Amino acid sequence: MRRIVCPVAAIALAAMGFAANSITQEKYTATERRHWAFRPRTQPQPPGFTTPAGKAWTSNPVDAFVLARLQKEELPHAPPASRQTLIRRAYYDLTGLPPTPAEVAAFAADKRPDAYEKLIDRLLASPRYGERWGQHWLDLVRFAETDGFEYDTHRPDAWRYRDYVIASFNADKPFDQFVREQLAGDEMDPANHEYIVASGFNRLAALRKNAGNQEVASSRNEVLTEMTNIVGSALLGVTLGCARCHDHKFDPLRQKDYYRMQAFFAPVHENDFVTATPSEKLAWEAKNKELDTEISHLRQAMKGLKGEERGRMMQRIRDTEVLKPGPLPGLYGVKDDMEKRSPIHVLARGDYQSKGDAVGMRTLGVLLPDGSPELDPATAKPRMELAAWITSPENPLTARVLVNRLWAYHFGRGIVATPNDFGRMGARPSNPELLDWLANRLVEGGWKLKPLHKAIMMSNAYRQASTSPASALGMEKDPGNEYLWKFSRRRLTAEEVRDSMLSASGRLNLKAGGPSIMVPVDEELTKLLYKPAQWQVDQDPNQQHRRSIYLIYKRNLRLPIMEAFDAPDMLISCPRREQSTHAPQALELMNGPFANDTARAFAARLDREAKTPEAQVALAYRLTAGRAPSPRELKLGLEFLKANPMSEFALAILNLNAFLYVD
Amino acid sequence: MSEHIRWCRSRREFLTDAFCGMGSLAFTQMLFEERARAATANANPLAPRPPHFAAKAKSVIFLFMAGGPSHLETFDPKPLLNKLNGQTRPKEFGEVKYQFVANNARILGTKRTFKRYGKSGIEVSDLFPHQAGIVDDLAIIRSCHGDMVVHSAAQYQLFSGRIIPGFPSMGSWAVYGLGSESNSLPAYVVSPDPDGALEGGQPMYMHGFLPAVFQPTMLRAGKKPILNLDLPPGVELDTRRNTVELIRKLNEANLKATVEAEDDEFRARMNAYDLAFRMQTEAPEVFDISRESQETLELYGVGKEPTDDYGRRCLLARRLVEKGVRFVTVVHGGGPGNLQWDAHEDIEENHIRMAAQSDQPAAALIQDLKRRGMLDSTLVIWGGEFGRSPEAQGGKGRDHHNYGFTMWMAGGGIKGGQVVGATDDIGLKAVDKPYHFRDIHTTILNQLGLNQDALSFMHQGRKERLTEVHGSVIKEIV
Repeated sequence: MRRIVCPVAAIALAAMGFAANSITQEKYTATERRHWAFRPRTQPQPPGFTTPAGKAWTSNPVDAFVLARLQKEELPHAPPASRQTLIRRAYYDLTGLPPTPAEVAAFAADKRPDAYEKLIDRLLASPRYGERWGQHWLDLVRFAETDGFEYDTHRPDAWRYRDYVIASFNADKPFDQFVREQLAGDEMDPANHEYIVASGFNRLAALRKNAGNQEVASSRNEVLTEMTNIVGSALLGVTLGCARCHDHKFDPLRQKDYYRMQAFFAPVHENDFVTATPSEKLAWEAKNKELDTEISHLRQAMKGLKGEERGRMMQRIRDTEVLKPGPLPGLYGVKDDMEKRSPIHVLARGDYQSKGDAVGMRTLGVLLPDGSPELDPATAKPRMELAAWITSPENPLTARVLVNRLWAYHFGRGIVATPNDFGRMGARPSNPELLDWLANRLVEGGWKLKPLHKAIMMSNAYRQASTSPASALGMEKDPGNEYLWKFSRRRLTAEEVRDSMLSASGRLNLKAGGPSIMVPVDEELTKLLYKPAQWQVDQDPNQQHRRSIYLIYKRNLRLPIMEAFDAPDMLISCPRREQSTHAPQALELMNGPFANDTARAFAARLDREAKTPEAQVALAYRLTAGRAPSPRELKLGLEFLKANPMSEFALAILNLNAFLYVD
Repeated sequence: MSEHIRWCRSRREFLTDAFCGMGSLAFTQMLFEERARAATANANPLAPRPPHFAAKAKSVIFLFMAGGPSHLETFDPKPLLNKLNGQTRPKEFGEVKYQFVANNARILGTKRTFKRYGKSGIEVSDLFPHQAGIVDDLAIIRSCHGDMVVHSAAQYQLFSGRIIPGFPSMGSWAVYGLGSESNSLPAYVVSPDPDGALEGGQPMYMHGFLPAVFQPTMLRAGKKPILNLDLPPGVELDTRRNTVELIRKLNEANLKATVEAEDDEFRARMNAYDLAFRMQTEAPEVFDISRESQETLELYGVGKEPTDDYGRRCLLARRLVEKGVRFVTVVHGGGPGNLQWDAHEDIEENHIRMAAQSDQPAAALIQDLKRRGMLDSTLVIWGGEFGRSPEAQGGKGRDHHNYGFTMWMAGGGIKGGQVVGATDDIGLKAVDKPYHFRDIHTTILNQLGLNQDALSFMHQGRKERLTEVHGSVIKEIV
């Protein structure tokens, strides 16, 4: 079996004869090394089929793997989805938005054999693609624009990282490059603004700050813990965090492995790279001075107050403090500071006060030959070493983890059903040959995602209908659709629900990028903030109608519609959105101010753009479900409109399963 | 910080996920029962489920004294404190770390006086004349301790067992374990203080990585306590009934799967609309406390200051539990520190004011539950995220203090009229039978009939549970 060693590091170490105390004694057993995810990738060839039906279905190698697995389970594949179903599926999948009625009609009418391929190419080239797939990445790295904890301080420049992610996806930046920039952009080129923004990846976690006696060592430990754990979950797909307190109970990840990984981050510190011009600096200072004066006046006024009055004055002071400008405009990144490098020890039970052996930098032992030494502590640019190991074509985890995520987002379920856990407690791959074939293709294709999306979406497996003549058998043998005997229907994500409602109403503002927007929320919700004045609404309605990815990610205030529809809390890495169903979702979509406001705009559009009730019902369906209403649906709609207002009809449409699910 | 969820979509996945890694034979029976429970949970995550073993309590009410009430001024008399007033702490008590004051700060005596009450003769300070009257129902735990001395992290630990946000709160765990007994009310309710939010913010009450169905319903001040429960302005109930009817018919028209099971999600969503509409029409009744007798209103101090607000919310907690709500947190204190129990500046001024607002309502809740025969099945907990320092801050205040402080439990099978554990002679550290937050959590689960190990949720290869490290049931009181 081949092992992975950073070439640079290996040479340096060999030259120095560097050896840590007992490291040569550390061993991983053959059984530990044998776990499928730690083995090198195989070179599977697509299975061949001899029957005409088999041949016809498997011209795409992806389908050959899928069909072989289905046949093994004695399950038939489903017939192809209709063209209007397919275009809606592809639009949501690649852009998070519905196709327009005109686009659906044109695609349904386009009988050219390459019509679908052209559609996929067009969608992959759309700037909306990065907004949809960037969101997946933001979920994984728990991106937010505030600190969390009690102050939940805003990070006014954090949006630049969001834009960086979107732009990277749109440009189809090779994934190895994308990872290098985020882990070590500042080491690659400390003058490159894009790289510094990318390096902000290392400080996306929630950050505890408090007044009074500072527990410097404990806070530093929390920061280093976050930097280390996210590499495990988001990049390597192993539960590295479990090894922080003790050797991993199930996987061959020793506690020392954990702290050796952490050692790569030992010199990392915040870098608020100021880009403000001199005049911006002056304005910033003036504003600060003005508010400081006001605050000192209020403090003066508080001196004589007691009890509740004093409490109210404290509140006023706090509200004024919030108005102070944040840091100067700049870039939110990190840098190495070798002078302030944190000594890294194995910590008993993860407790920063219980220091065990000091350890240095080394990647995961189970993927190295036994006794592999640590890196020279003087190694310059340590995170570049780490990134080189993670993105090495031979790393058995990185490419598999990534293609599995891609598959999971397309099909609703990964080939490995636990995208952040490829360890022994995670799921086994349902189709290991397919996983390796895709991973090989990714690496051989220069780590580009768009060709892989295309290969997957061009497959017959992806183009299946979401129900099958053999559904009875399928539901009995494989109710979770692990083997893809049909396409799995899915509910829209929180962002898709909101964006699609805006789209149906004609209000959606597709402006891309820039500082994040705060939209109006019920006053009772801002009251739940420790500092309600932090919520500064953008009064421009057009801004309020931007895509959800451009709304602020505030850790202590999620929009009700986001929370109800399972948007993650951005406190921990989220590899897979839930699709829960519960009454508050119905209440939000029936009674919520956003839903009713949007329904009124939708109703006005129906009135404006369609003249007869028949045409209005039809347009409503085309704008939301991507299809014409059935005769029964049309009849029900017309009956309702005779006695009820259009705004209620529009609201009902936005509450339908036909709208909220993608087939 | 740990990683996120994998929530299972199929029953089979649920069964595999929820139990891998649990090898012990002793668990076999529990495992079997848990599987039966899980199967129910999969069909409807809020369906009521039997506990792991016979439960004492059906519901929990947590009277959360936000900001950290002083144990030294309430339930933990320390005569030595007054003798040492103005001196630095004698060496034999050891060292601790505070948020603000240093280790050489001066000891602050208390102005409160303590007397013995009830048959049990437990000492309670003059701050709490009402709670003194029900002391025979209370199990007072004087030896509580936590790991964090700052609000947000301590609040996270109190609610979720972790010092970082992102983990499910005890209310979410309780509902995850037992489902809901009500089909027209939310199962887990938080009633925040109208004065404002706390340092831990929303995340401390939340469901973390559990599915959104286990999230709390945050009540709001005023006449519309549940978000989106009221019709939007200008919409009549009859019209809206037609709209809901239209939604149902159009959704039915859209059912098209070849086999019924394929449309389960569609049906679940249709049912969610039915429940939502039922909540809308039935829930407002439970919030209307004018239906209570004048005597009851007076018992809670409703209609007079300074007890009106907390009295109303405690009374509402009883009404919710009566209707089958599983877990209610009633927060006392919010906004800036001085509107919480966070008495950095002046312990006297702050605690006299805070006690006057909440003492009577807290005692009334116990009395009211008891006379209605509900106390046996309702576990009531009182306490904050920490206590306060024996040393003075700025002369008259007390700093945060997590090394030893008091909480109490009552009802739900708890043996009242007793004191458990003790702090040292100046109330610095829990020295006799120290109980950590995880032991409080274990005891709460125990009273609900839930086993701390079996109540778990698998994510990222790790069996997550409320008590990260195994806790102990406080055996003296159960």
